[in-house]
Amino acid sequence: MKKRSRFAATALALVVSAGVVSACGSNNDGGNAAAGNTGSEGAGAKKDTITALLPPVSANFQANFNQMEAEFTKQYPNLTLKIEPASWEDMTQKLDTQVNAGSPPDIAFMGSEGISKYVPLGMVMDIKDAATPEMIADFDEGPLKYMYNGDGLYGFPAYMEVHAIGGNKPFLEEAGIDWKKVQQNGWTFDEFREAIKKGVVKEGNTTKRYGFVFATAGVTSKDYLGILVKNAGMPAAFDKDLKYAYTSKNYLTLLTNIRQMIDDGSMPKELSSIDAGKRWNMFLTGQTMITGKGMAVFENSSRLNNEKIDKNDGSAVKDSIKTDYVVLPVPSFAGQPAVANSIVDGYVTFRGKKEPTAEHKANVAKAAYFLASGQVAATTNGELFSAPITKSSRKAAEGMESKQSPENKAAVEHLLSTAAPARPDIPAELGAKAIKLETEVIVPKLQALLAGETTPEKMYEDVKKAAIDTFGADGVVQD
Amino acid sequence: MAREASTIKTKYRLNKGDGAWAYAFIAVALVVYAMFTAYPVVSAFIISFQDYKPLGSSYVGLDNYVSVFQSSLFWKSMGNTVLYTVLTVPVALMLSFGVAILIMPLKKWMQTSFKAIYYLPAVASGVALSVVWLWIFDPLQSGILNQLVGVFGISNQNWLGASATSMFSLVLMSWLSSHGTSIIIYVAALLGIDSSYYEAADIDGASFLQKMWHIVLPCLKPTTLFLLVTGVIGSFQVFQNAYLMTGGGPDHSTTMVGLLIFDTAFKYFEFGNAAAQSLVLALVIAVMAFIQFKFLGKDVEY
Amino acid sequence: MGLYNTHLGNTMLRNVRNAVIIFLLLLFALATLFPIYFMFISSFGDPVEAGAVSYSLWPEKITLDSYKFFFDYSEYSYRWLGNSLLVATVTMASNVVFATMAGYAFAKIRFRGSKALFGVLLVAMMIPYQVTQVPLYILIVNVFNISNSYTALIAPSLVTVYNIFLAKQFMGSIPKEILESAKVEGCSQWQIFTRIVMPLSKTVMAVMAILTFMESWNTFFWPFLVTNTMDMQTIQVGLKNFRFANTTYFAPMMAGATVSALPMFILFFSLQRYFLEGVTVGAVKG
Repeated sequence: MKKRSRFAATALALVVSAGVVSACGSNNDGGNAAAGNTGSEGAGAKKDTITALLPPVSANFQANFNQMEAEFTKQYPNLTLKIEPASWEDMTQKLDTQVNAGSPPDIAFMGSEGISKYVPLGMVMDIKDAATPEMIADFDEGPLKYMYNGDGLYGFPAYMEVHAIGGNKPFLEEAGIDWKKVQQNGWTFDEFREAIKKGVVKEGNTTKRYGFVFATAGVTSKDYLGILVKNAGMPAAFDKDLKYAYTSKNYLTLLTNIRQMIDDGSMPKELSSIDAGKRWNMFLTGQTMITGKGMAVFENSSRLNNEKIDKNDGSAVKDSIKTDYVVLPVPSFAGQPAVANSIVDGYVTFRGKKEPTAEHKANVAKAAYFLASGQVAATTNGELFSAPITKSSRKAAEGMESKQSPENKAAVEHLLSTAAPARPDIPAELGAKAIKLETEVIVPKLQALLAGETTPEKMYEDVKKAAIDTFGADGVVQD
Repeated sequence: MAREASTIKTKYRLNKGDGAWAYAFIAVALVVYAMFTAYPVVSAFIISFQDYKPLGSSYVGLDNYVSVFQSSLFWKSMGNTVLYTVLTVPVALMLSFGVAILIMPLKKWMQTSFKAIYYLPAVASGVALSVVWLWIFDPLQSGILNQLVGVFGISNQNWLGASATSMFSLVLMSWLSSHGTSIIIYVAALLGIDSSYYEAADIDGASFLQKMWHIVLPCLKPTTLFLLVTGVIGSFQVFQNAYLMTGGGPDHSTTMVGLLIFDTAFKYFEFGNAAAQSLVLALVIAVMAFIQFKFLGKDVEY
Repeated sequence: MGLYNTHLGNTMLRNVRNAVIIFLLLLFALATLFPIYFMFISSFGDPVEAGAVSYSLWPEKITLDSYKFFFDYSEYSYRWLGNSLLVATVTMASNVVFATMAGYAFAKIRFRGSKALFGVLLVAMMIPYQVTQVPLYILIVNVFNISNSYTALIAPSLVTVYNIFLAKQFMGSIPKEILESAKVEGCSQWQIFTRIVMPLSKTVMAVMAILTFMESWNTFFWPFLVTNTMDMQTIQVGLKNFRFANTTYFAPMMAGATVSALPMFILFFSLQRYFLEGVTVGAVKG
């Protein structure tokens, strides 16, 4: 009996391993087939298909897919653009599965900071040589730099926007804050601290309105610290000498300030579990004067809700009041200059298992450029309230009217001029280590700090210790 | 075994050819299993010894396993997972068993309605549900749960945002979430109990509790074993709740192994390491399942 | 005649008992139903883009515009439902047939290696999918080259271990005397299976059908991975198209979720009979 069952097990093992072997055997062919977008090398045909994995970048983006595909073929009759739709929050996981399987799409839309994750795997495709000088010249230099890593250019940027904070105009004025001046000159933490104290409205012991509410629930706490830390003398995780920056004294000052705003009562003590939907609800219902993170497009959301209040048909957010969204800069900490948190998202180019031909590379560059410039980019930027970053899209946008208020437009432009420069010099391995440190130590400790379960000093020590363990005592800033 | 020895000869004659039938019955299942389940598992096993790269992996021996065992975070998340499982699975079983028992004496249309009601949450999409749960756990006074505990004079809690309550909040969510599946399975099993058992018990004048103890519980043992084993497996792999609701925080108080594996595989791109973590987790689950089979399955006939 | 004493003292007492039971059940139902209720009332909101969720216990406004918006949003809205229906139905049918067969073999036939094989099956359930999804993706997309097809959507879940396990556990309670007497009378295994085991397993097959259908209908990630075009997406994947970077069409998403819950409800009620009847083996025992 025992012997027989062993036989059966062996038989099964054989079946299974045969499956593995055959799968492995054909694996390479398969990988090539999938990566076989590399174009038929047939003599004159030169037909090629470029695949692009795109999320709904803006509200009407996916609706235009068919049109975009047709336009592209019209422009390049031998080329076909095949767009795969994907939802925002899941698209990274789909892309990562495809990358791990060795068959990613040719183009994927994502944040430029994601590039460094794929460089060590060798799966992103350098299009520096494939892009024509005209293409390169069309882009503004600042945003384009974000698409570099080391020497390689890994795609084209779609837009550059600033993640800052935003206030409700009537409340700001009620608290005596000269928001126009702040928009142009910025503010220090001390000024900001006083301002949000004045924004608090209490009824007995319960706070009816907070001065400042930032979404920090779960993983969004990463955004909070990430946006503030740039204004505390640490525009990137590594300084110019590639030493890990978050061990500097300024980091401790920042953590102390973060705690102070909660202890003052200007921010809710339950801040650590307020998510993005909740804090926007608080903004629209007048429960906070300033909110974060703030993006230019929120102005539109606020205005839409005002229109619904006017209609008075019950479609507005419950208990909401009329709001007027004002773009505000993040205060500067520890006497350091304010540096805006600029986000560049773009069309990143990938390669499959097989080395792509020069021709296919050029075709992918064409497709990425097509998506990132001209009419397509102008439409996207318009919907996102973000300024065009190519000459061609600026031209295409000329006829479109913007609903953005002139003050906010100017404020965003001012913020962009203080944006942190791109850091293609940070090696991918260092970047990967910093991401791991952030996920495993900084974010969890920050959540504890916000919940009042740890002190700024303790958190600072924990981060410093973990940083020294990771980068060595010489690899971190010691001041 | 001894009981069967006497009849073994007749059995043998009768069972001749059964083996072939059995293999025919399981053939399709086996092929599907080998291709779509066993092959990926074996691949994952191989990957766990590699520094996996899509363009060519290198073997690193036991390095991945060494780093799993040395990682304090792995053990912390394992502890969290065990705690979560211990707090959720038995309660879920008792709740669904209780509901199934309570449904039985009702009129038929009421049985139907109640089963439909309890089944409903299972059909709703996870995204829609997580929005509602975030509202329930709203940390401000306006939050539903905070209003509820406020009635009892408890000040409002930062449910998901504080280490003290974050794990409890996830557990509570699991208690009040859908038990539709287990209820349906329990009800089906209860109906499968032959009424002659009850008739015999009634003749003996057995009370409700006696019937429960001597008939219902033994007859439902295979079902309970099934729900327990699959429940524990599911709970050990739990990922979505922590991912959507807390992101593992604060301070790793709700980091489960499932979430850690996800981060390792998709945030750090250490796929070999993630495979090793998975296999260690699978081993732990297998040991747990084995214990359950030994403990509950010993007098169940297979 | 049942677990409960039907001839309980007097009717009064019985009514009180049932009232208490109903009260308890309703209380628990209230807690579990709340999210569904919220989904349902939210679906009657206006189909407008807004960053904020309207936290409200009662609908402020009732309109069917969101349902209209959902079906007009994409030309594929109906097709998503159709795709899901097709995939879930095929998966359900094949699971009921093949898992029942396999479950019977594992539960009631003694054959070489049955325990070892069953153990191997179970172990596979214990590996988290985060790791196995990449090899599976390589197999389906790179080796078989069938991405964006119904085969790719259906094949991996033709028979699940969960269902085999479920069938095996339920069939364990079929008295072996019945099967043995059938054998003595010269029935082949196939005849035993189709004429005795299947009719006795109606309940578990119904349970399996509904659970499998639900599982398949609700699956998001696998269809998301292997579909490349909108016309091949399932309803769960399609619903996610309503989420944009920082805003969501909240009401239409809830309307879609409500619409997608309906087919399962219909299925549930059509199989309801099998859950409630129970299975009588007494006849054979006589």
